Amino acid sequence: MKGWTGHILRINLTNRTHKIDTFGQEFAHKWVGGRGFALKVLWDELRPGIDPLGPENKLIIAVGPIAGVPAPNTGKTVVAAKSPLTGGFGDGNLGTRATEHMRKAGYDSIIFEGQSDKPIYVYIEDDKVQYFPADEIWGRGTYDTHDYLYKIYGKGVGILSIGQGGENLNRYAMIRSLEGRAGGRPGIGAVMGSKNLKAIVIKGSKPIPVADPEGMRKLGIEDLRKVGEINKQTGWSIQSTTGVLSWCNEVAALPVHNMRQTHHPDAWKIDGERLNNARVATYGCPNCTMRCGIAIRDHEGHESELDYENIGTLGSNLDIFELDQVGSLNYLCDDYGLDTISAGDTLAFYADAIEQGAIKGDFRFGDAEMAKKLLGMAARRQGEIGNLLADGTMRMSRAIGHGSEAYAMHVKGLEISAYNCKFCPGMALAFATCPLGGHHKDSWVITFEIKQTKRDSYGPEKAAKVIELQRIRGGLFEFIVACRFPWIELGWPLEHYPEYFNRVTGLTWSLDDFWKISDRIYALMKFFWVREFPDWDRTRDYPPMIWFDPSNADKDGPIAGKILELDKFNQLLDHYYEQRGWDERGIPTKKTAEALDLKDEMAEVEKYTRLE
Amino acid sequence: MPTIKITVKLIGPLINLAGFSEKALELPAETTVEEVLASLPVDPQRPKIVTRNGQAVAPGEKLRDGDRLAVSPIYSGG
Ligand code: SF4
Repeated sequence: MKGWTGHILRINLTNRTHKIDTFGQEFAHKWVGGRGFALKVLWDELRPGIDPLGPENKLIIAVGPIAGVPAPNTGKTVVAAKSPLTGGFGDGNLGTRATEHMRKAGYDSIIFEGQSDKPIYVYIEDDKVQYFPADEIWGRGTYDTHDYLYKIYGKGVGILSIGQGGENLNRYAMIRSLEGRAGGRPGIGAVMGSKNLKAIVIKGSKPIPVADPEGMRKLGIEDLRKVGEINKQTGWSIQSTTGVLSWCNEVAALPVHNMRQTHHPDAWKIDGERLNNARVATYGCPNCTMRCGIAIRDHEGHESELDYENIGTLGSNLDIFELDQVGSLNYLCDDYGLDTISAGDTLAFYADAIEQGAIKGDFRFGDAEMAKKLLGMAARRQGEIGNLLADGTMRMSRAIGHGSEAYAMHVKGLEISAYNCKFCPGMALAFATCPLGGHHKDSWVITFEIKQTKRDSYGPEKAAKVIELQRIRGGLFEFIVACRFPWIELGWPLEHYPEYFNRVTGLTWSLDDFWKISDRIYALMKFFWVREFPDWDRTRDYPPMIWFDPSNADKDGPIAGKILELDKFNQLLDHYYEQRGWDERGIPTKKTAEALDLKDEMAEVEKYTRLE
Repeated sequence: MPTIKITVKLIGPLINLAGFSEKALELPAETTVEEVLASLPVDPQRPKIVTRNGQAVAPGEKLRDGDRLAVSPIYSGG
């Protein structure tokens, strides 16, 4: 078997032992890697109902066959676990040197089980695994943690670490690597913290198993050059993802004031043009010629690397229109190891709940200094408010009550990324059906929705587009494990990816072979949720109810008086379920599961609910 | 000849390619969207999203006084 090492490193943190599991072609071809591997391991090994922050949960680090191989944007790694934020399947990816090192150390995946009795970090070098006390870095931010470990092991190693957020079990804590790279929005950093695992350092020295090493090297390096060239010609990384902010503002899809508003006259102050003008450094993931990380000096003088999601949620959604202050909030999130999207939305929800009189408090929209204090409290779970904020909007709204659930901007417990879908039914469907909760990662149909079709359509073409993008973004790029930006931002043809995959594995797969795997992974992710929540029904696939509330419609601007309609949204969900072969509750049918070779998984889920 | 006043807003790297971010234009009445696009120093082949006052607009549509035309490359949004 080429392309995979065939090895999974299994580390038990309770008794500090490790072993190397092997897997064969059947597993590799069925799940490929990254999200596919992580999901299958969690499905097979977790008992439903376990505490995501207890020793029974498992932290999975997984790469895919082309990860780490020199080819466009292959520096990514998937991190996954049962989510402490949503209670369902949770994963994310991040650019890190750990990707290449993991493969060179001889592993396609690493599973962390159990719970260390004391804070530790783990050092992995090829077959060697060592456990070190983390006393000197426990309680410190991710920047200090990285510096400390770089001093010991050198800058070239792969490091994945948590900050105070993960240590204190903040439910939207992430894992961080390199300058501003972070992954695992649904609290994967909290799972790492619950295991008392401060950091993972990894170094590998073996060759990555590639079927056609010379052919792959030549092709990969040439394509990296070409992607860099297209990036230059198009000027994409002048503003990287942040160009989208002014666009969202123009088309009334910007999150402002806890998503109660969709545009703002001051949005230009935090847009991509201002960001590029303030740029002091540029960062990127390994194996990337697009380097999308734009760093500015924040209000306190730190370098802070911003993208659109950070600015939309920590800036406009909080009515903060000073770029350096948005930079400060972003820097703090990175240092504490908190997801910027959930952190921003949670603070916005808190300010909104105060404004609505649902809870008493001093925080107001636009107050950057107070927002900084609150982030620190949330990261450390300080006091009643810190604890409340650390649990995210869904739990906060349940604790606060007074109707605040309606404006808690999450899906399935995961806060919504920076697109205000008051009047974007297709993008609302993308959030609603994302297998993690309110994430834009798996499907991003908003430009399609506004450019190619009628914005007010709830037709089957929108469901089809959401699924098409989920297959590519949430499937292909998550299981071969590569960054989607060359394709989505520069139009780098998808056909290149089976080419890389085949050179690495020696197989002759086409894109059509990949789509079946994407659909299989989607079906199993849904089974994972259903096994955790056996009373599953379609309301769990609904976006926040405030998007259906006519009193929340914009008073002015491009979508004045318009709002989503629930009965039509249900029709859109029907289109989606039908096209996926799922029943009216949103659960894959027996026929679908069988066609996707999920017989065993189907038998397991049938212990919890009936399948149609 | 009657004229109209419109604003053109460029988004993302189009700003750097065209050398301006936002501009007020005075144009003959009945000018179409595609006529304005053709006058911009931006590659006509490049896929774009064009909106008028926040709504998608077809190239052949005529502009009206006070319109705001936003021209953006196609983003994925990260
Ligand atoms: S485009 Fe950005 S996110 Fe993607 S690999 Fe490059 S630096 Fe990382």
